[in-house]
Amino acid sequence: MTLPPILRAAMGPLRLMVQDRLAVIGMCVLGVIIAMALFAPLLSPHDPRHINEIEDGSVLVRGSDAWELRESLGPLALNDAAHHAGQSVIVGRSGTVWTRAAAGDWTRAEVETEADLNAVDLNADGRAIAVGGLGTILLGNGTGWQVVPAPEADLRSVIWLDAVTALIVGANEEIWLLDATAGNIVEIDSPVGRGFPLNAVALDADGTALIVGERGLAIRYDPDTGTAALERIGSSRDLNHIHIAPGGAALVVGERGTLLRRDSADGAWVTDPAPDTRALRAGWIGDDGRAVAAGRNGIIMEWDGTAWQIVPTESERHLRALLVVGDDWLALGSDRFVTRLSPPSREHWFGTDHLGRDLFSQNVHGSQIALLVGFLGATLVVLIGTNVGLIAGYYRGRTETILMRTVDVMYGIPFEPFALILVLLFQPSLTIVILAVSLLTWRTVARLIRSQVLSLRERPFVKAARVAGASDLRIMYLHIFPNVLPLVFLELAIIVGVSIIAEATLSFLGLGPPQSISWGGILHDARLSGAWRTAWWWNLPPGILIMTTVLSVFFISRSLEVVANPRLRARQ
Amino acid sequence: MTRRTYLIKRVLQAVFSLWIIATILFFLFRMGLPDPTSVLITEGLNAEQRAAVRAQFGLEDPLWRQYVLFLTNAVQGEFGTSFSYRAPVSEIVWERLGNTMVLMLAAIVLAYAIGVPLGAWLSWRRGSSTDTVGIFVGLMFRSAPMFWTGMIAILIFGVGLSMFPTSGMRTLPYDADGFLDKIFTLDFLWHAILPVLIVALYYLGSPMLIMRNTMLEVYGEDFIEMARAKGLPERDILYKHAARNALLPVVTQLAVTIGLAAGGQVVVEVVFSWPGLGREILNAVRTSDFPLAQASFLIMAAFVISLNLLVDILYTTLDPRVSFR
Repeated sequence: MTLPPILRAAMGPLRLMVQDRLAVIGMCVLGVIIAMALFAPLLSPHDPRHINEIEDGSVLVRGSDAWELRESLGPLALNDAAHHAGQSVIVGRSGTVWTRAAAGDWTRAEVETEADLNAVDLNADGRAIAVGGLGTILLGNGTGWQVVPAPEADLRSVIWLDAVTALIVGANEEIWLLDATAGNIVEIDSPVGRGFPLNAVALDADGTALIVGERGLAIRYDPDTGTAALERIGSSRDLNHIHIAPGGAALVVGERGTLLRRDSADGAWVTDPAPDTRALRAGWIGDDGRAVAAGRNGIIMEWDGTAWQIVPTESERHLRALLVVGDDWLALGSDRFVTRLSPPSREHWFGTDHLGRDLFSQNVHGSQIALLVGFLGATLVVLIGTNVGLIAGYYRGRTETILMRTVDVMYGIPFEPFALILVLLFQPSLTIVILAVSLLTWRTVARLIRSQVLSLRERPFVKAARVAGASDLRIMYLHIFPNVLPLVFLELAIIVGVSIIAEATLSFLGLGPPQSISWGGILHDARLSGAWRTAWWWNLPPGILIMTTVLSVFFISRSLEVVANPRLRARQ
Repeated sequence: MTRRTYLIKRVLQAVFSLWIIATILFFLFRMGLPDPTSVLITEGLNAEQRAAVRAQFGLEDPLWRQYVLFLTNAVQGEFGTSFSYRAPVSEIVWERLGNTMVLMLAAIVLAYAIGVPLGAWLSWRRGSSTDTVGIFVGLMFRSAPMFWTGMIAILIFGVGLSMFPTSGMRTLPYDADGFLDKIFTLDFLWHAILPVLIVALYYLGSPMLIMRNTMLEVYGEDFIEMARAKGLPERDILYKHAARNALLPVVTQLAVTIGLAAGGQVVVEVVFSWPGLGREILNAVRTSDFPLAQASFLIMAAFVISLNLLVDILYTTLDPRVSFR
């Protein structure tokens, strides 16, 4: 079979590549990365731009200098906890109930409901009551849980008034009195009656119950008279939780860092300045002056006697409940929280970034831009460089002078700063990045090709073609070009590597194509966020990928050097 | 062609190149930023001040008058006032250029001082696993982007082991009378080690590989056979006979590298917060400080061209075989 000369010439470099072991390795690696770019959407388990959130039954324990994350209690958020005489109960979403006997492990209790449980309380007999959405009321006696039939309502909080009576409040201003033995519910008239959500209730030192709700609403229920009356505690923010210590110290927390504190049963409510203005969901206060409040994004504040201090926590989970058992302080959560900066896990193989985006998917997608700019840029460079070199070398004279002086001028332009200026003047885009990469790099190719052409044009076969009447174009592209093809391939390979690094560099400087995901861009984000000093899983993969890609291209180009430099060939 | 006419021709060429670059730069800027003072409005400049800036750059005049004004200003070293620093651009640029050159020259010298003997040694051990590892490591540092190796180096030696400072040229605050006073201190050396190493590791590969390859070529030459026949020790043949003759391509590469040194390595300066010219251009780009960006680039190009010229002239002196074409 006879091949056209140009194809035959192209086969030579290919055969050489196959012979060189390193080049074969390089080609395999490059093949993998090209496949990665082509099948990126299939390969990545997440959308690279999607902000990942996760729900978790998070438990944080107060350590010596920070609140530390402990093993999660299941995948569902924990909403409330209660403790009495060594026995503890936690309730959460979708009928989650965890119980713990003194110093034992948490065990999941079986309950006959899928409704979200919002609150739980234990009485002196160890009897438990939990309430939740869809009018769910659960009674527990240590061995099992029974559902108490109730009208449909979003029940938010519950408290035992005595051994058999519990006070339940709900999202539509429901105030219910439940007789646990008989199972009947008495509705108490609210003094407001405008359907405000009531979020929490606590038993005060004098045996009355204090209910708090939205817009600073506070209602006191007196079991002796059986009536509820409005009370002012000095806030108009939405109040989320109330805790009253046996001696009468009390703490109410709410939205926007609302902290209302009362030192004793007959003391006045004081609004404390909060060090953070995010929502607080749970508070706990002791009669000895200790107090703690927890809220969204892992915010935990402790009262140091004079002011509230933010204490370091290990995570940004949304905390909903506090459980204080002696010196054992637990914070519980967590609703769907953004999985920021999570280290590599089964869900996120390369971890997540500061916005909770999956880094594995980003790295996989990053190969697309790298290869696109790499190959497109290199092709453009080689196209310009080869033609300039061919024309300059073949025609010589004035044409050569003009072209080669242009190349000389190009050598006076530093690459990176030039690319920066281009991007400054013409907004970052894929076109500008490719242009910035290729506008200067062709200078080397032009010089190399020209010097080869200079010697080739004096060879007999060129002279023969000229005598035979071949046109200049024919001689240049059909006779000379196949002979410089190996050199062209070599340059192509080298410049693919150069272009990939150039693109990564521009993206790293924040000047890459906007809205695109690239390896340099990942490192740009990492540096900008400041978290790169700790999040190694964020820094390492993009750099390794760039290095591997460029290295594989260099390996391929090394095998071609033999073609370009005949003296190397003679030695083999 | 005599040496003198060659020199004159070469200098004229350099001036011509610079003029072309200045022209390209001028038209690029006029194309991309028809009214560079528009960015100043956001910084609260009133109409009067803005008009003054416009007059300084002759923005009211026809294009060719602006061009002439730009060239005259450039020749006189008059680049206007930086928008963000509110200081003469030329002062800022010269200081930053010095910082860039210190970093780059130290790195290049280090890279060649290590790379050349290493390449010779690898060629001596050709085919061995040392050789393979050497080539691999050299190519690896050549393939790894410097901003990444820099970040990793900061992570390990700066943050992890707290051995080196992670940013700047000196511990702030410091007093220094002039440039030399600033750099001839231990504190400077302390700050320079990591960035210089990172740049040097990147440059290391090319002298090493070129040296290795040329040495392999030189081994085939007759005078090496001759030296062997004389019974000279292998080490002497390697370093005294072969290495000297293999140096030329390395020197060529060194010339090209030094020629482009003024261009600096923007990313290294960024990662290590090195107050160099490249970082200054980036800042100028980000803040749309067009006088600073324009002048930095022009001075950088002028420096690259002069370095190229200087290296070319030195080269003709070093190697008499180079024809004065």
